[in-house]
Order: sequence, then structure tokens, then C-alpha cells
Amino acid sequence: MTNVSCYLLGERAIVIDVACHIATQPKLNQKLFALKKWLDSSDAFIDVVPAMSSITAYLINPEKIKQWQQVIVEKWNDLEMDSFESKLHHISVNYGGEFGQDFGDVANRLALTHEQLIRLHTSVDYQVQFMGFLPGFAYLSGLPAQLHLPRKSTPITHVPKGSIAIADSYTAVYPCGSPGGWHLLGQTDSTLFDAESESVCLLQPGDTVRFVEKSC
Amino acid sequence: MLEVIKPGPLSSVQDLGRRGMRHLGVSQAGALDPLALRLANALLANHENTAAIEITIGLCEFIFHAPANFVIAGADLNACLNDTDIYPCWRYSAKAGDRLSFKQSRDGVRAYLLVEGGFLNIDQQLGSYSTDLMAGFGGLHGRALKVGDKLYYQQAQAKPALGALQPSYEKLIHFTPGPHAQLVSPHVFDILNQTIWKVHPNSNRMGIRLSSHKALTHNHSIATQAVHPGVIQLPPSGEPIILMNDCQTTGGYPIIGVITEADMRHLSQLSAGDCLHLKSTSTTHTAKQRHRVKSHLNQLKLALNKKE
Repeated sequence: MTNVSCYLLGERAIVIDVACHIATQPKLNQKLFALKKWLDSSDAFIDVVPAMSSITAYLINPEKIKQWQQVIVEKWNDLEMDSFESKLHHISVNYGGEFGQDFGDVANRLALTHEQLIRLHTSVDYQVQFMGFLPGFAYLSGLPAQLHLPRKSTPITHVPKGSIAIADSYTAVYPCGSPGGWHLLGQTDSTLFDAESESVCLLQPGDTVRFVEKSC
Repeated sequence: MLEVIKPGPLSSVQDLGRRGMRHLGVSQAGALDPLALRLANALLANHENTAAIEITIGLCEFIFHAPANFVIAGADLNACLNDTDIYPCWRYSAKAGDRLSFKQSRDGVRAYLLVEGGFLNIDQQLGSYSTDLMAGFGGLHGRALKVGDKLYYQQAQAKPALGALQPSYEKLIHFTPGPHAQLVSPHVFDILNQTIWKVHPNSNRMGIRLSSHKALTHNHSIATQAVHPGVIQLPPSGEPIILMNDCQTTGGYPIIGVITEADMRHLSQLSAGDCLHLKSTSTTHTAKQRHRVKSHLNQLKLALNKKE
């Protein structure tokens, strides 16, 4: 157990946390997703929730929490680093203008031309690191370092549904209209979250996302 | 049909909440006082997860337009059926045209109104009838109840009165230690245990904010991790926040404790200005607490089976 801490959070949650090691061993992230997949398949958990550098597993039966903590530690030590395969999604984006109100401002602040900004944002495969903030709001990791900007100091009250945004080291798509403090670059027509549809949520933790510029 | 004449400050449809959706960023929602919901459902021979109207503070009014057997559980918000006083955790029957009104109370804020057979025209989404007030789905049109809303139910023959014992609500609330307490101060647990905490007015179904404590101010943040109802977060201001059912699924404030599952129902009845004590406890004690709640419910169900 050299690169992970595993502790209990309340009566039925077990946290597996690699925060201290993720910077030096980025592959630990894939190992966390592999562990999530294994825990999901055990049917012993209500839910397994990934976050920035941890996963939290919620047990159905809290009486067995100590045993499961032990099992998880053993499983972690047995898991291969590359044992996770990710599903790829293409999301087409209208960048700038009425679709992304901060696009011009972000390009200026980062000293990029509009084309460079789009090229950078579409240049990488992002991974759904975790979901939070809103139903279906995916924190996508892998944003090129040239595009890192702190959040706005004052959030705006209405970010339109489908907005593609960046903040800190993440990019994201707003699944519905909401207040928000991220920088808005563009917009997609794809439906990210629909409580009434059968698939509910387009993106799942661990999935890969590639943004594609929509040609007008 | 039950018609909403006055919804009060907040009335919404809630069952035991959404399970297994936190990894998609979907909150649990659901009744803040799940034992009250279960007791009421037992008295009506409903499934234990049948949805209720969760009433906040009171000051609301409903009319039954068809005969119904009903129960109010949770806080005693001084309810009346026409002019007759109605007590929590008793089964009553209403006739068409009967008017059910709630005043308010000093001793609690949340009550659950259930009818035999449950309400019929409510939406089940992502496995639950609970209203997600932030995201706007589930319950009745994904929102709090409004004047004129109509909730349909199967009319029922009047049954005799029947009551259950509802365990009392306490102001001493147990928690198990959280992972980031030492990050903030070596004295966090002493402070949590020894302070008389006050509920901040800015508390709601997402979280209960407590008064601030100078020794708990800090400037730490943690890598965002999963959180859930009961988690005690400590923002830099030193005002602990106890997360409740509508909380987000992840958070970046240090976690200094987790309220025991059995004691969450006590929190559901606290209002702004109320005082409470926190007490750290062991996993042995939390297991005993869970068993006590379970056997209370089981004994009630056994007794009801014998009687009816």
C-alpha cells in the first residue's frame, strides 16, 4: 500500500485516495477507474463515486465495512496500471460569437489567435475525471497548460445549456442552464443529461471526450 | 384528490431518495427524516418507500376531495382536520371536503403527510419519486408544491385510528471523526464536542450551517472528493456545514466529521437559532444506533400485523 490511502468516511463509505501521488504517477488515475469498474461489478455497493484523485464506494451493507476495506486494499495491490478501457465520444462545438461569450476575451488574455485557441482546445482527448456540481456536469481533465485560467471572480447568473467552458485545469460542458463561473468558449447541441431519457447521462466517469469544431 | 390550498414556506414530494446516482452528479434528495416516513408508511400498510409531502415549518393547508386514510409523522406542527387536533404518527380518516391545516411549532420543522396507497400523479425519475428542487425533476413537475396543485390518490374506506410510538428528537447529535480534522487543528474534536452550536438562518435542504468558531478558521483546501448527507465540511470561515440530502455530490472543503445515519433525523427538525451539541462516537456505537432504529420499525410492523 505504498501509493494510496484507504479510509472510512462515516458508516458506509470507503475512500481510496491517491492525492499525494497523482502528480508523479498520472497512471494511478486509470488504476482508480479500473478499481471503480471492479467495485461496480461486485454488486456490494450503492454507488462508486470518482472525484479529483479518489474514489468513494458506498456500501449497501455497512456491517461489512471493515472486511471490504481490507478487500479493496488487496485488490488495489493486484490491479494492473493499464487495465482500464475508456469509451470515446465526439462532441461538436460552435466556438465564439453568440455561442461562447468569453471566447474573444480568453484569446486576448492567453495571447492566442482565435484559430490557435480552437486548435488547442480540440487538440487533445479529455477524460471524464468526475461528475459534480450539477447532474451530468463532467469535469474533463487533460486541458493543455496554455489554456489554464482561474475561474471568474464573480460567477454569471445564467450560463446557457450546452456551453463549453474552461476553468483551472479542467474543461466542461454545462448540461443545463445554471449560474457558473467558468469561461465560456462555445456551445454544443448534444444533450448531456436528460432525466427522462433511458440513457440519462451521455458521459460516464472514465470516458474519453474529443471536441470537434462545427463547420458553419 | 388532495388539493393544495396553501403550500407554506416549502412543501415538496419526497420518498427515501435517489440511490446509485451520485457518480453522475445527481443528489440523493429524499425525506430529511426517513424514520418518520417509514413509520407513517407502516401505519398505512404502504411500501416503506411510498412518497409523502414533506412540509417545512407548517403554515399550510390542504383539502381532501375524496375519502382517505392518512398519517402525519415527524414534527408536531399543530395540525387540525377541520377543527379537530391531529397528532403525529396516528392514522386518521378524512371525508371528502375535509380541510387539513398546519400552524407551526417551536419543537420541530418538518412533517410528512401520507395517504393510504400513496399519491398517483407524481413522477418517478432515476429510481425515485423525490423532488430534486435544484435540478428540477421528480415529484410533482420537479418543483415545490404551489397553490392549486392536485395530488390524486385511490379513495379508501375509513379505518379505525391507530398510533405508533415515534422516538423523541434530540439535540445531542453523534458523529464519527473525519479525515481532514488534523489538517485544520489538533483540537478539532475537542472543539466540536465542547461547543454549544447554533443553527445559522442560512440552512436548508442542502446543508445546515453552524455558528462559526474562531479556532476553526483556516486556509486549507483538499482535492475535491465525494461527499454525502451527514458529512461535516469546514470552510475557511470556521463555520461548519453539515451536508443534508440535497447537497452536491463532491466538495473541496476539509471534512472534519460525519453525522451518524441514525441521528440525521434529529437534524431535520432543527430551525434557525436552535442550539445543539455534537459528540464524537465510535463505529460500535453507530452500529448499535442502526440496530435500535431497525428493531423499532420491525417491532411496529409485527404489532401491526397482529392487530389488522
